[in-house]
Amino acid sequence: MLDSVLALAQGFSVALEPTKLLFALIGVFLGTAVGVLPGIGPALTVALLLPVTFKLDPTGSLIMFAGIYYGGMYGGSTTSILINTPGESSSMITALEGNKMAKAGRGGPALATAAIGSFVAGLIATIGLALFAPWLVEIAIQFGPADYFALMILAFVTVSATFGDSPLRGLTSLFIGLMLGLVGLDALSGQARLTFGVPELLDGIEVTTLAVGLFAVGEALYVASRLKHAPETIEPVRGSLWMTKEDWKRSWKPWLRGTALGFPIGSLPAGGAEIPTFLSYTIEKRLTKHPEEFGKGAIEGVAGPEAANNASAAGTLMPLLTLGLPTSATAAILLAGFQQYGLNPGPLLFAEKPDLVWGLIASLFIANVMLVVLNLPLIGLWVRLLAIPQPWLYAGILVFAAMGTIAANPSPVELIMLAVFGLLGFVMRRYDYPIAPMVVGLILGPMAETQLRRALQISLGDPMALVESPLAATLLAIAALALVAPLIFKGLSRFKAEED
Amino acid sequence: MTQQEDDRPEGRRGDPVGFVIAAGLLALAAAVAWDASGMGAVSSYAGIGPSAASWTVAAALTALALGTVVSAVRGKIPVPEPSDHAAVLTILAGIAGMIAIISFGGGFIPAMAVLFGLTARGFGRRALLTDLGIGVALGLFVYLGFTKLLALSLPQGPIEHLF
Amino acid sequence: MFRSLKTATGAIAALVMAAGLSTGALAQDLELKIMAPAGPGGGWDQTARAMQAALTESGAAKSVQVVNVPGAGGTVGLAQFVNAKGDGSQLMVNGFVMVGAILTNKSPVTLDQTTPIARLTAENQAIVVPANSPIKDAKDLAEALKADPAKVTWAGGSAGGTDHIMVGLFAKAVGVDPTKINYVPFSGGGEALAAILGGKVTAGVSGYGEFEGQIKAGKLRLIGIAAEKPVPGIDAPTLKEQGIDLEIVNWRSVVAPPGLSEEQKKTLLEAVDKMVKSSQWQETLKAKGWDDAYLAGDAFADYLKNEQVRVAEVLKSIGLVK
Repeated sequence: MLDSVLALAQGFSVALEPTKLLFALIGVFLGTAVGVLPGIGPALTVALLLPVTFKLDPTGSLIMFAGIYYGGMYGGSTTSILINTPGESSSMITALEGNKMAKAGRGGPALATAAIGSFVAGLIATIGLALFAPWLVEIAIQFGPADYFALMILAFVTVSATFGDSPLRGLTSLFIGLMLGLVGLDALSGQARLTFGVPELLDGIEVTTLAVGLFAVGEALYVASRLKHAPETIEPVRGSLWMTKEDWKRSWKPWLRGTALGFPIGSLPAGGAEIPTFLSYTIEKRLTKHPEEFGKGAIEGVAGPEAANNASAAGTLMPLLTLGLPTSATAAILLAGFQQYGLNPGPLLFAEKPDLVWGLIASLFIANVMLVVLNLPLIGLWVRLLAIPQPWLYAGILVFAAMGTIAANPSPVELIMLAVFGLLGFVMRRYDYPIAPMVVGLILGPMAETQLRRALQISLGDPMALVESPLAATLLAIAALALVAPLIFKGLSRFKAEED
Repeated sequence: MTQQEDDRPEGRRGDPVGFVIAAGLLALAAAVAWDASGMGAVSSYAGIGPSAASWTVAAALTALALGTVVSAVRGKIPVPEPSDHAAVLTILAGIAGMIAIISFGGGFIPAMAVLFGLTARGFGRRALLTDLGIGVALGLFVYLGFTKLLALSLPQGPIEHLF
Repeated sequence: MFRSLKTATGAIAALVMAAGLSTGALAQDLELKIMAPAGPGGGWDQTARAMQAALTESGAAKSVQVVNVPGAGGTVGLAQFVNAKGDGSQLMVNGFVMVGAILTNKSPVTLDQTTPIARLTAENQAIVVPANSPIKDAKDLAEALKADPAKVTWAGGSAGGTDHIMVGLFAKAVGVDPTKINYVPFSGGGEALAAILGGKVTAGVSGYGEFEGQIKAGKLRLIGIAAEKPVPGIDAPTLKEQGIDLEIVNWRSVVAPPGLSEEQKKTLLEAVDKMVKSSQWQETLKAKGWDDAYLAGDAFADYLKNEQVRVAEVLKSIGLVK
């Protein structure tokens, strides 16, 4: 471990050269700027900006990547909070509480807790990356399909946190999401499901199209429908623009818990960035002292998931750097970035190019600091966007929603889906169906199904394989407990109430 | 979106909306089941094929449809708040117009102008020409930014070919 | 909302771009549009963008625009591409994967409707096992497969893709019923690699480049590559040398729309020829680790026909196409 510290110090001496700092700054800036465009997540951001780095030397270009990567991750949360338009699936949860806060004039604290939470999470996770990468990665590859399936089940249990007050309507939303998850080619057999001969549907339904349709378009329609009867008032700022003492007090624990969830799960080869955000939201909802605020703009519901999201981004770099495993779309593009210099990330990279690896890790720290320095002053500017007259604000949101959708996939079919999901979101709002479970179903359904069938295929159909691994058994037990515990508590409190 | 509008009135007994929703869910379940029945047996060592998930979802949607019927009979379907349908239809027209323009090769900028103009109108603005103008400016700005700086392709029409 | 920030970004990006992407001399005034029938970032997109750079910098074309049309293994893009009948200014990147996707997705449009221009790159396909596996070479693997095909689990890319086809061909070559293979598809290369490293499957199949680092680090054992003859720099015998008649490469190529005049075809062939021979292209190949597999005109057209027949047979024998 001492070696790591020395190597890291060496890395800082590379990354702190003025030109390298400039590259990091440009990277963070570009990443944030492109990342805030709705529908454009970090993967597309990095892919789009990859050519910009072509002519730089490898170290400089990778440092710029690191900035773009973190900048893109952060930019995604800004649109979630301000205009209810998540740029990627992992900032969907942030929109739940964040947008409610923004509409109540608390956009400033919401953006601040997201920025600082991302910073804290990024910092801790990058330290974890620097110190423990080689060991953690050995554990991570021991995760088999059965273990992943158990993790997905645990994540499914958390969906109920987003159900609202009617389990029937929550489950309906969830299962429509699961149905949408069936659309496309089945990953294991290549069989087309629910595509009805439309080739554009073969790749399945894009999570961002569903999320942007339900959240942004549905919201615009709903607000317009209520305009004459009960006009919505958006206050850009009410009270403090900055986080109050109370906000700090309510944020710091969620940041740490989010990091603790995001980093390990993100470093699993098939862990993903979404699951830790779901888990974090659920935990914060359970632990908060202000449960009545959840669903109306609770700061914990922004702080935790945002920290989890960023920590998982750093976690993703672990299998990438140490094994050459790209475990997310963004990481796959980063890998392509490495390869354009003839570098192959993997066990040999640390030995062959220590300057570069440790320079990159050091620049992750620097990118993280720059991100917070760049973004905190911008919060005042961002929040003021909400002062744009309502007709133009929503018209602009729809333009950016449409643009993000066709930029990622330039086909009218994609736009028609956006419109249909928008209308669905409107109808669901009218009849008080929760929206988040549908998106969660679309994300988790295919993942869980694939891992289940993979596990069964490897075990030749023996269901015992699902619980034979101690890890899988533990995760399933936690899931069962999480499902049953609230019922027991409810029973207990009722019992108590009767006694009193 | 959770736990909002706690103060919404409870619905009325036998609300027809509940039956419409239930019928919709049944239709979805039927579509999924029909699709699954056409898949045929795929031999896999897993013992379950791609249709297993479809059947599960179809069964669950059917159960939820029944649950919705029960809740409609009991009057548990929330009564929606009054809605200004003209505004919603104006915005939907804007979205439909945008899709049509892009599908028929009208290009990105006019499509965004129509979307912007009609959405603003749906939100009560009465200066359609001004708003269309703003939409053109916004569309042009986005188009140039994307195609020139990011090398992403956006739909092209007569106007876009000028650049 | 993005107005003020975007202007500033624009300024910075413009500066960076101006420094980075100055175009070379404009010898010809060919204006091309290259379709990458996939999203930005993937293999076809990278090929299209590498062509864009090499074509303009070598002066083989005046300007090149890349258009992404993602979806369904490239068949969504293909369906759109064949509409550009007789347009000599368009090209589309494609590859081995598309040949299979056309069949498995029951695409109404096929590559027969395009004008083949040239095969550009290829990647060697490799079979690996975890370093601690009792399987030492291709013969051991063949024996294990013959003993019980169910117990030999294979990790690779998507169902019906290159890796899956290769496993089907392997089974056929050693005399095992290809419908009996236990092939587990994984989405990204990373997930499959993790499953192989973790010992969750018996063997893994993918492009050699995906495994290279792990092989050199001693975590994976290379069983063989499916090349025609030994490849310098790859320390393993070919499958053919081990008595298994299996040869497959993952190639990428470029095609033009249907209905071109001989002259239009010649112009495109010349432009691509000039590009392939340019130093820019050769440098890109080296940087990206792609093998030069240049094969142009009629020779490529024949090759394409053969591959289509072969892929159709394998997919039928695996049971993915009826």
